[in-house]
Amino acid sequence: MIEIPDVVLGCLSAGTLAALVLGGGLWRSRRRGARQSAELTALNAALDGAREEADAARAQRDAARAESAAARAETLTAEALTAEVAHLARQRVPATATHAAHPHVRVPGPLDDAVAGTPLGDALDEVQAAVLTATAQERKRVDAAARAGMRGATRDIQAGLYRLQDVLRGLQEKYDDPELAQVLFALDHENEQSLRRAQVTAVVCGAWVGLAREESHLVEAVTGGQSRLVGYHRVKVHHHLEPGTALVSHAVEPVAIIVAELLDNALRHSAPDTDVVVNLERVPSGVAVTVDDYGVGMAADERARAQRMVAGTEAILLSELGDPPRMGLAAIGQLTRRFDLSVDLSSPSPYGGVRAVLLIRNHLLSHIDPVEQPPAASTPRSTRTAAAPAAAATPVNGHSHASSAADPTAPDAGARTHGTARPAGSAPASVPASGTRGAGTGPVEDAGARSTATAGTEPSTAATPDADPRDTAGTGDPLGSGDPNDPGPHDSGNPDEDTLPQRRRRARGRATAATATAPPARTPEESAAALGALQAGTAAARSEADSEGNDPR
Amino acid sequence: MTGRRTGRPLVPAYLSTGGVARPARACLERLTVLTGTGEPAPPALPAAQHALLDMLGDGSLTVVEAAALLELPVSAIRVLADELLGRGLILSRPPVPVAELPEPDLLKRVADGLRALKH
Repeated sequence: MIEIPDVVLGCLSAGTLAALVLGGGLWRSRRRGARQSAELTALNAALDGAREEADAARAQRDAARAESAAARAETLTAEALTAEVAHLARQRVPATATHAAHPHVRVPGPLDDAVAGTPLGDALDEVQAAVLTATAQERKRVDAAARAGMRGATRDIQAGLYRLQDVLRGLQEKYDDPELAQVLFALDHENEQSLRRAQVTAVVCGAWVGLAREESHLVEAVTGGQSRLVGYHRVKVHHHLEPGTALVSHAVEPVAIIVAELLDNALRHSAPDTDVVVNLERVPSGVAVTVDDYGVGMAADERARAQRMVAGTEAILLSELGDPPRMGLAAIGQLTRRFDLSVDLSSPSPYGGVRAVLLIRNHLLSHIDPVEQPPAASTPRSTRTAAAPAAAATPVNGHSHASSAADPTAPDAGARTHGTARPAGSAPASVPASGTRGAGTGPVEDAGARSTATAGTEPSTAATPDADPRDTAGTGDPLGSGDPNDPGPHDSGNPDEDTLPQRRRRARGRATAATATAPPARTPEESAAALGALQAGTAAARSEADSEGNDPR
Repeated sequence: MTGRRTGRPLVPAYLSTGGVARPARACLERLTVLTGTGEPAPPALPAAQHALLDMLGDGSLTVVEAAALLELPVSAIRVLADELLGRGLILSRPPVPVAELPEPDLLKRVADGLRALKH
């Protein structure tokens, strides 16, 4: 048997022991924690101290570094500034000056790249910019002075050449010996060329064109420009404008100059055995003068440069025109700007050469009656001939086509007889009415005018205006030169022939010519008969007077 | 007739003949009469020749008259007319020489005789 008090005692002692052990452990651990926290604080303090120390050290180090940099910069200024300025003076400034004239020249930068962006670098750049400005101003000033001098000289030369031209033309009128005339023609042509050069130079130098002209036919301005060139034989002008298309007075000379310069370029840059073709055409905004050559053409950059020159948007410097100076394009540029003309060189010619198009806008165009004031005899005639006054009043498109088709074959042989031959009443009914009414009135006036002029010799024509046109046409020709081209009544389907602008003039010229110089339209037999009748009549009257016994006195 | 221009002509005379002033054939006189033959003008006829031919289509003109009407010097008209003659487009007739006038004495005697007849 087990005694219970022993067991209890044993348990208690064991519990006490355990409690003691546990209590001891707890205390010990608490003491350890306290010791650790103390250590931590100490460590923190030490750390802070170290940090401060490090900061101080860094500050010290920075200060030291700054000191050393300043010292180095001072030494650089002393050595490198001299080199930098010398470099500026010897390399950069001359290069800048050259660059102003020749943009492809490269301007070197500072010696030390580190200088760029520093106040020193900026100052050096300012020097360069100031040099550039001064150079440009000086160039402009010198150029303006040169232009003024040239302007004065060329103006005098031009005036002298015009006086020479007057003298030469007076001599041409006065003396008609072939040998002398040949020399005079050659001199006149030489004079025209000199005149052109002087005039172009004056224009490039900013002068006025130097000659006031009156309103003129456009084709005259073009042929006038053509005549100023050495190779004018090679120029073929095709005139597709309505007759009478004219230029207002202040545009005449500029257009002649521009055409001459464009033609000169074309002639120079094409083979001597090729033609240069000029076309005058109506476009909606005015008239286009197209110059095509069969030359080698221009490279794209050349063409771009030429286009810039003729546009006239940039100021011209004589020093940029090359040596010898190429004045032509520059003069065109000046004129296009001043007179609101435009020249286009930008499109290549379909023939491989250069195509230049001069556009003359409507406000520079006017109209001259081609009958009252015909263009010069040497100007090519228009391929369009429909612009008689009556037809012009009622412009019908069909008109011009019909007549232009008729033109080459009808230099006018038939027209002379038509006026008298076809009275208004005989205008064919098959022709559309509106256009022909107006056209039909022209010939009637002519017929009237002519019949009075020729009534003496052709009483039948004047007396029977309604006679059969065929008959009248036959007798109406005072020269009796049976006109092979006379189409007679069947051709009357084309009334435009009657409205040819030249007709009226010719009719008048003929009226005077027929009475003044043309041989009479009678055959010798007719003349003999007429004179015989006169004699017979006189004899009859005399015999009657004798029979009455009156003294003839 | 045509309005004559007062200003300086734009187109010089030498352009009308291409700079030629010596006719290829015999020289036409100032009063030579030119007459068109009525032949149609060939299409490639130079402009000035065409103008002269047109002018002659209206009748006959002397060389100086044509020069005045076309406003060209006589020497140019000579060349143009010469070309046209060569092409057979016009005819030329030398000027009629001035007739020799009878002696004034003879005329007087004839008049006296006529008066004597009446009485």
